[in-house]
Amino acid sequence: MSGGIGSDPLWYKDAVIYQLHVKSFCDSNEDGVGDFRGLTSKLDYLEELGVDCLWLLPMYPSPFRDDGYDIADYYSIHPGYGTLDDFREFLTEAHARGLRVITEHVLNHTSDQHGWFKEARSSRDHPRRDWYVWSDTDDRYFGVRIIFLDTEQSNWAWDPVSKAYYWHRFFSHQPDLNYDNPAVREEIWNVMRFWLEMGVDGFRVDAVPYLIEREGTSCENLPETHEVLKFIRARLNSQFEAKVLLAEANQWPEDVCAYFGDGDEFHMAFHFPIMPRMFMALRLEDRKPLVEIVERTPAIPETCQWGIFLRNHDELTLEMVTDVERDYMYEEYARDPVARLNLGIRRRLAPLLEGDRRRIELMNGLLMSLPGSPIVYYGDEIGMGDNIYLGDRNGVRTPMQWSGGWNGGFSTADPERLAQPLISNPVYGYQAVNVASQQRSDHSLLNWMRRLIRVRKSTRVFSRGSISFLSPANHRVLAYTRSLDGETVLVVNNLSSTAQVAELDLRALEGAIPIEMFGRSLFPRIGELPYMLTLGPYDFYWFRLRWL
Amino acid sequence: MARATLLTDDLVRRLIAVGQVDVVVGLPTMNNAETIAGALQAVHEGLSQHFARARSVVIAADGGSRDGTPDIIGALPSGARDRHGGLRTRHQIVAAYRGVPGRAGAIRLIFTAADLLQARAVAVFDPDTDPLTPASIGGLLKPAGPDSFDLVAPVRARHPLERLLVTQLIRPLVRAAYGRQLDEPLLTEFACSGRFAAHCLAEDVWDRSPMREGIELWLAATALSGSFKACQTCVETAAAAPSQRPRPGLQEVFTPLVGSLFAALDAHAGAWQRDTAPEPVPVIGVEVPPPADPPAGAPSGLGGSFAQDVRDLRPVLESILAPETFAAVAAIAEAAGAEGPSYPDEPWVATVYDFVAGYHAGAIDRAHIVKALMPLYVGRVASFVTGHAASPADEVARDLETLAQQFERSKPYLIERWYRAS
Repeated sequence: MSGGIGSDPLWYKDAVIYQLHVKSFCDSNEDGVGDFRGLTSKLDYLEELGVDCLWLLPMYPSPFRDDGYDIADYYSIHPGYGTLDDFREFLTEAHARGLRVITEHVLNHTSDQHGWFKEARSSRDHPRRDWYVWSDTDDRYFGVRIIFLDTEQSNWAWDPVSKAYYWHRFFSHQPDLNYDNPAVREEIWNVMRFWLEMGVDGFRVDAVPYLIEREGTSCENLPETHEVLKFIRARLNSQFEAKVLLAEANQWPEDVCAYFGDGDEFHMAFHFPIMPRMFMALRLEDRKPLVEIVERTPAIPETCQWGIFLRNHDELTLEMVTDVERDYMYEEYARDPVARLNLGIRRRLAPLLEGDRRRIELMNGLLMSLPGSPIVYYGDEIGMGDNIYLGDRNGVRTPMQWSGGWNGGFSTADPERLAQPLISNPVYGYQAVNVASQQRSDHSLLNWMRRLIRVRKSTRVFSRGSISFLSPANHRVLAYTRSLDGETVLVVNNLSSTAQVAELDLRALEGAIPIEMFGRSLFPRIGELPYMLTLGPYDFYWFRLRWL
Repeated sequence: MARATLLTDDLVRRLIAVGQVDVVVGLPTMNNAETIAGALQAVHEGLSQHFARARSVVIAADGGSRDGTPDIIGALPSGARDRHGGLRTRHQIVAAYRGVPGRAGAIRLIFTAADLLQARAVAVFDPDTDPLTPASIGGLLKPAGPDSFDLVAPVRARHPLERLLVTQLIRPLVRAAYGRQLDEPLLTEFACSGRFAAHCLAEDVWDRSPMREGIELWLAATALSGSFKACQTCVETAAAAPSQRPRPGLQEVFTPLVGSLFAALDAHAGAWQRDTAPEPVPVIGVEVPPPADPPAGAPSGLGGSFAQDVRDLRPVLESILAPETFAAVAAIAEAAGAEGPSYPDEPWVATVYDFVAGYHAGAIDRAHIVKALMPLYVGRVASFVTGHAASPADEVARDLETLAQQFERSKPYLIERWYRAS
């Protein structure tokens, strides 16, 4: 085991984050549901993978009508996942291995089964009535977009108990909390403090743009919402150190930047638009969409960091693309309409890339070398598949495939008892794709991912360095330098399925000797002339430049 | 010994960077400083609107402009190319071609680049004529490709007294000979499949007169004569600013175009003389009614020298025309007044066919044969224009159709004369 988690307050800038579902990771008690004891037993695996931080999806009591994002009790652990003591034990063991833990925090809404909402709807005069957003009519905030278009027809839902409408930006069983009420803010901070004092290293904060409603606005990204977030951050800063708040705001980068504030709101935010553009660039074999979005991304405060990812627990969201781009993505990545959900594609990384190892490697290479802290979704490190027929996004939340044995090593329960069925098809099934078999092969995707993460972490230039794009005439080649404190890494990616040649204008780096970072091979010294590189299909190189 | 190449090393290097493409758009340029920026904007907008997903490159093939045209193209920032919203990088290349300046050299370079890039479709637009619009880019390019049409020619709404060389000679002759009518056989703009471009590249015409000078007509004839699928597409005609360029004289236009057409007929004789039924060339889109008013500056007073010209050319005409055709022409000349001759359809068609056969036989220098036809053409145009000075457009169009049918009916005469002259 490594020696703990250290005290660097900016640890999140260098982190490689691993996102997982407790319920889908490992079952220790034969009930078919993953739990904290099971997760704790797999911490050695995660340490060996080389990640720094675990992001746990919702683990609270919930009716599970939105996979746990409908929280019924903020102060407890879902009984199926274990107990608070189990969680404390997990935290201790994770920290001992140098693994930080961030948990999900749903600020915007609760479940309609939460005690707060039950009390609020019980009487118009109840003290908690004003913890939610009520109306006698459903025409307030008219025109505000509906996010879950596939299921919801309005942002208002009728409550037959108290005979009034309540506001919900997501599912109708998820009433929005009323952040105009100071008591709500205080209580939400109390929730956060509860977990932080237990040792949690931070929160991934769900759906942050929607906290406040105002008539005549989109009810998104309002100044009053930022006031709430600054309140939370101020409390955090005053009482804790080296904790992180990671914002989920599926917006354009210039809009998300507001959530960093002046370094006084979120430490991190997801860079949503970059994700579909990585897939788009790959399929188009053209760097244009990727370069455009990175160059469009404003600078952020020194203490802040982007979170970037290839896949996560949700659909591959296509909200932040144009109509033309969305049509293209659907046609190229989701020809089967069943794969489409809301404005996105419910698939895992490997099936999206048709199981092509070269493309999987290239995409992970991009993930690990572009600006931001990379987030790996559980199972993608071994190339797990999905099941788009499971409904909602459950097809990308199936049990982790640990071995080719009983239930893929996930659980010793009867297979019929599993909360989610395993992937069992011949291509991506647990017999073919699992941790145990990949651990035995030096050339497996798992071991390749370990090397990739290790190389990424060998320098801070990837996590904290600036980026500068090169413009080789060949648009199939994406090349950039990452620089930090006199150290420079040159990254060259071939986005094409065919061999390509690139002529790079590296005169600004004249005299440097490129050292390929995976094999440590030396390449010819950079001179005045264009630097010629040939790349095989989907090849990529990371060169550390040395002036010797 | 290394083979001669059309592509300079620098151009090859740039084309390597472009890689395989779906679409090549070519712009032959030669002192187009006034119009090239607007043309390029239309091309990029058209590609973005209609080919957002396509891999594309725009190639300006320059014949040695001295007015800074290549600099204007090169100065167009890449951001300006991208602002139209295409998904992909769109490359833009300016390249000078070698050899004699002209459309042939430019189109050859564009076709060669398209061949190297394995383009599915190629389009060539003229920055000066018929102002480009994004819609016309899409209209021409969309039907072109390996799975659809090998040649796409435009259909533009024009008054029937426009482009008399086309309506009186080229169009009806092409229609009668090849059994397929192209509204705009001169192909100042067109699109084609990569397959067709590659086929044409292999033809030994690019450096040879008169095909070189009338290369577009030769391309049209090649498409109609071979196993290629052709179609026409209706494109809008945008309002054009009056061109500042001097218009070429009739001889500059007539000799290369008619020479090229005659040469094509000579080369394709085996194809067009087969007894095949006429076949319509499909028209895509909705045809716009032509303008009711004749074009400004319509020719007048053309036929005054017709009688004298016929007298002067008598020995030449007697060596080309059949005796009965010559007699008819001589009679027309004798009867011609100050306003010009009355040159009916039948003797005009016989005249043209005798010249086609005479060109094939090559009894005298072929360039001289083509030149000798020009005064007769002028007389025919004078006759037609004078006769329709007060006619409404639909009546003119109807008479043009009658002329075309006369060409078709007389095709056996052409074939008979062809073999008699051989």
